[in-house]
Amino acid sequence: MNYKSIYKIPNGKLLKINLNLNDTNEKIDDIKITGDFFAYPEESIELIENKLKNCRIEKNLLMEKIIQTIKKNNIEFIGLDAEGLVDGIMMCLK
Amino acid sequence: MKEEWRYIESNANTAAKNMAIDRAILVENSKGNSPVTLRFYEWAPPAISIGYFQGLLEEIDIDMCKKYGVEYVRRITGGGAVFHENELTYSIVIPESHKDISKNIMESYGKICGALIKGLRYIGINSEYKPINDIVVGNKKISGNAQTRKHSTVLQHGTILIDVDVDKMFSVLKVPNEKIKDKLISNTKERVSSIRKILGKYISFNDLCSPLKKGFEEEFDIKLIKGELTSREKNLADRFEKECFANKLWNHKR
Repeated sequence: MNYKSIYKIPNGKLLKINLNLNDTNEKIDDIKITGDFFAYPEESIELIENKLKNCRIEKNLLMEKIIQTIKKNNIEFIGLDAEGLVDGIMMCLK
Repeated sequence: MKEEWRYIESNANTAAKNMAIDRAILVENSKGNSPVTLRFYEWAPPAISIGYFQGLLEEIDIDMCKKYGVEYVRRITGGGAVFHENELTYSIVIPESHKDISKNIMESYGKICGALIKGLRYIGINSEYKPINDIVVGNKKISGNAQTRKHSTVLQHGTILIDVDVDKMFSVLKVPNEKIKDKLISNTKERVSSIRKILGKYISFNDLCSPLKKGFEEEFDIKLIKGELTSREKNLADRFEKECFANKLWNHKR
């Protein structure tokens, strides 16, 4: 099923999540992360989106994958952070 | 002897051409072929630029754009959607290694916005930098700015609102209420100001160039020398326009 959220990151920017979830195994089929934040390098968001595919939608698991990707690729966010991303994704289910 | 930067005052261009020129200057500066450059420009027809990470259809009402003859383009910089009409857009391209450019992105926003703030003071406007990327008068936004860093080079562009038709602006842009949840203003429209609203008179693009130019010269302690795009930059801009900014694949990629 398709889920969406719009989340204003505290002291940051507006994050929009568009999520396709496999409802039987609760894994992410597809995710689009959009918004008016800044991320360096420019492929950061695509890297994170790809990393989250097939990930089970569970807070700690998502956080781990995102932090791993940030560290590995020296990603720098402005107006966004890993916690905000996870909160925005989890908000899709509410 | 003061450091000299190139200053380009462009005519109004289409959205795709404007974004192509900024990118071409960025690439040529990063190769050492072009000097540090400050460019002032306008958009014709009026246009919306969206941030690199934004969803086009989430931000823009395409039907309303068609109705008003408003173009749209995806920028290479992050940040939010901007409606460009009756405003001055600037772009600055400068190596990351320049002594006045901090490694810290927020600090470099503050520095470049400082030049705009000094410039606005010359026309009697007291403004301040409001992190992350706005300049405000009171609590209302008069300027939005966006920066990217590529090939060890900084491109920051941004806009100063000369006059604004908020109803038109918010009919072509889709702005959800979440955007202003933590700001004590009930209506997004109330967050926007313009030179005309503040001074009660209209100041043209041409009249704004010179005070802003002075702001940059003072903030960076440099001298701006009027110049033109090089033929390499023009050719590159033509290529970027076709391959990227006028291309549906690019603009609709998210």
